[in-house]
Amino acid sequence: MVDRPADVGTPRRWARDTLPLYAAAVTVTVLVLAPLAAPGYALLYDMVFVPRQPLTWDLVAPAQSLPRAVPMDALVSLVTQFVPGWLVQRSVLVGAVLLAAVGAGRLVPTDRRAVRLFAAVAYAWTPYLAERLLIGQWGLLLAYAALPWLVRAALDLRAGRPGALARVVLAAAPAAITPTGGLIALGVVVLLVPQRRIPGRPLTRPVLLSAKRAREMKYAVAGLTLLNAPWVVAALVTGAGGSSDPAGVAAFAARAENWAGPLVALAGTGGIWNAQATPGSRGAPLVPLATLVLLVLAGVGVGLLRRRLPAGTTLRLGVLAGAGYLLAALGVLPGGDAVLRWAVVHLPGAGLLRDGQKFLAPYALLLVVCAALGAERLVNRIDREVAGVVLAGLLLLPVAVLPDLAFGGAGRVRPVSYPAEWRTVAGIIEEEPGEVLSLPLNAYRAYPWNSGRVVLDPAPRYLPGTVLTDDTLRVGDVAVAGENPRVREMRRAMAEDRPVWTTGVRWVLVQHQVSGDLPAGTLDGLALIHQGPFLSLYRNPTIVPGPEASGPARLAVVVALGVALLVVMTAIFSALHRRATAW
Amino acid sequence: MRRALTLVVSGLVAALLGILALGGLSAAATATDEEAATEAKNVSEAAKRNGKQDPYAPEVYGNR
Repeated sequence: MVDRPADVGTPRRWARDTLPLYAAAVTVTVLVLAPLAAPGYALLYDMVFVPRQPLTWDLVAPAQSLPRAVPMDALVSLVTQFVPGWLVQRSVLVGAVLLAAVGAGRLVPTDRRAVRLFAAVAYAWTPYLAERLLIGQWGLLLAYAALPWLVRAALDLRAGRPGALARVVLAAAPAAITPTGGLIALGVVVLLVPQRRIPGRPLTRPVLLSAKRAREMKYAVAGLTLLNAPWVVAALVTGAGGSSDPAGVAAFAARAENWAGPLVALAGTGGIWNAQATPGSRGAPLVPLATLVLLVLAGVGVGLLRRRLPAGTTLRLGVLAGAGYLLAALGVLPGGDAVLRWAVVHLPGAGLLRDGQKFLAPYALLLVVCAALGAERLVNRIDREVAGVVLAGLLLLPVAVLPDLAFGGAGRVRPVSYPAEWRTVAGIIEEEPGEVLSLPLNAYRAYPWNSGRVVLDPAPRYLPGTVLTDDTLRVGDVAVAGENPRVREMRRAMAEDRPVWTTGVRWVLVQHQVSGDLPAGTLDGLALIHQGPFLSLYRNPTIVPGPEASGPARLAVVVALGVALLVVMTAIFSALHRRATAW
Repeated sequence: MRRALTLVVSGLVAALLGILALGGLSAAATATDEEAATEAKNVSEAAKRNGKQDPYAPEVYGNR
């Protein structure tokens, strides 16, 4: 975001400026993800990785549920055909924390190394990152990590720097693997890239150049739209409909983490709805004070940011951050919850807004960048020795306030191994593919081999074919209804004490040592194929096995996915054909 | 005098933050599965005593 000095790229300057930044980023990454050095899979809430995720139609284009993991699941399935799942999990988590730190450090328009280090540590050690890690939403962490790189590329594009268009697409690609990340990336490009044209200006060289720039801006918006196309098309063709249960608005609204209330929790980039995904330290009574320190620093630094960025850019970043904060707070604002309840019922896709805290990422980035510049202003006014002490204190502040993010959230992100019989059961089903029902009907499980940590049922990602699991989300005493009509049919059959074979499901997987009961008669008429300590597999003899049908709707999703991949490949080739850039 | 005072105060604050950070990191590093299980059990029992849903019951996505 700042003009590059003449010795940029030289080994000496790299060692002086860039190396400490990467060293800090590596240190933070090691501190946060140290438990991942052990073998196995970290299974926590929404984070499910398996050795080799099958490339099934239901993961590429879910026919009966909302595309919350489109195209994320398809990409993981694709990659794990060649790379083991444990390596993919480590790559995305390490990449997310490392790139978040480096990206934030590089984004700050300053020449002071310590200020960059503060930004790097502060952005990679936020309550936002901690809470989304502890709820297992790694796709969102990738979007969070991509954000500073995307902002930088978007500002470069706006400034007409060569190669910026390809960098915008490449930085947005990891964000767009989830609908939320894709929307945030689109918002960044739509807000930051366009430049006003001056009417009546003569056709001089700068104007012609700006015509080229305008064309690149249109390409950038089009590229981002195409990156979002897979989940948009999947949402249009799914049989789950576009509306969500309005009970989810209150259940997933921002939550107060201490005495200061939800708005202050959000101001400190925390406030996720789930108390179990919130680090214990967030409840400390002095946490709002640390938030206040950050806000004051950011307030002091905003003027410096305005002076160092092109005119209007800070305002646009402010609008982006403000919109993110507003979306996060909507569920707890007077009248906001009613608006959201109406929207999730009547506006297709508005269910995305229920868990609004996830939209805080742009706010977190602007807060950190401004706070870093605020620190710079502060230390410019004091002696060199005192400045060093103050900067050291500021570097320690994020860790001191949130120490339990370290070591995988104090041991919550800890790898385990799947029992061997999961592979046995997957092998049996692979030989005779068909629809699988996972029982007991619960979306989340707590396995004894996973130290009782709550995790999304791994069956849909471990087993080949369409796996039906409960999609009702229980938040405390509130049950937020799912959208899958096929699961509703299963639930109805079990409520009426009908055997599940009557629903036409091919396989029934019963998981033992987890909570939940099976109604009497559920398994009547099924043939037991595998019986183990953790799993039993039953076959419905009345159903003939056959391959899953694709259909034009699912093919449309595949086409959208192919187009998105083509856009990314084009950006990669374009970037490779240019001379090496500073990043 | 003013400079020395600023240095002492900022030094003390930085030292305090350092102690908090290092202490917290040590606690996080030494957290074991057994401790987590005990804590979860305590939370579950407290929830039951208060007539609330057990937040660690696996069918529950989470508690507010």
